[in-house]
Amino acid sequence: MKEIIAVVRMNKVSATKKALIAVGAAGFTASKVMGRGRLVEDKAIIAERRKTLLALAQKDDQNTDKIVTEFLDGTRLFPRRMFTVLAHDADVPKIIKAIIDANKTQYKVGDGKIFVLPVLDAVRVRTKESGDAAI
Amino acid sequence: MIMVRAIVRPDKKEVVLFELSSAGFNAATVVDVVGRGKQKGIKFGDIVYDEIPKSLIMLVINDEDKEDVLDVVLRHAKTGEKGAFGDGKIFISPIDEVYTISSSAAGL
Repeated sequence: MKEIIAVVRMNKVSATKKALIAVGAAGFTASKVMGRGRLVEDKAIIAERRKTLLALAQKDDQNTDKIVTEFLDGTRLFPRRMFTVLAHDADVPKIIKAIIDANKTQYKVGDGKIFVLPVLDAVRVRTKESGDAAI
Repeated sequence: MIMVRAIVRPDKKEVVLFELSSAGFNAATVVDVVGRGKQKGIKFGDIVYDEIPKSLIMLVINDEDKEDVLDVVLRHAKTGEKGAFGDGKIFISPIDEVYTISSSAAGL
């Protein structure tokens, strides 16, 4: 038994839910979290989106510039959705592949992370089944 | 790899995150949670508050960085010199696999 924790973009939530159903793991727990990733060292990756965001700004001052840069390079916390999915060992690779396929964008950074944790036991409350039968 | 889950006071969240970033651990996930501890919440007269707001900071790190991260969190999440009830807890669990969605690559 494994617990798969995936932190994904807010606008990819429904795509992720559909992908999970398609792969046969319909059950999940999701919550709203704040997060940040590794610092972006190669500024060229975020240069283009920085330009688009700056063009949207009302007035062009030092502050806007700082906020936009922080927002893109990973120093600021921003909203993400965290999915927790319990899975049988054998299903883990295909669930991971489904989540990756559903969440990949062209932006190169900020698409999220997937963690796989071991689970000692699980119990279904309704029937008191435990172990693999409970998932 | 290991996952460190630190439950800290909400007002210590900013400083802990800042110090973690300065120590080279920028990536983190933060959730606002409520909970109680060994003291069974806080009691004022007849009223018991047992859903005390805390911040849960989750970060996944390599095994060899464990001591560094623990040191940063323990030092900066503490209230005063000796600490106080309600400063929080740190839980550590093993992680089998990690994937970055942008690159589909395994590993941190």
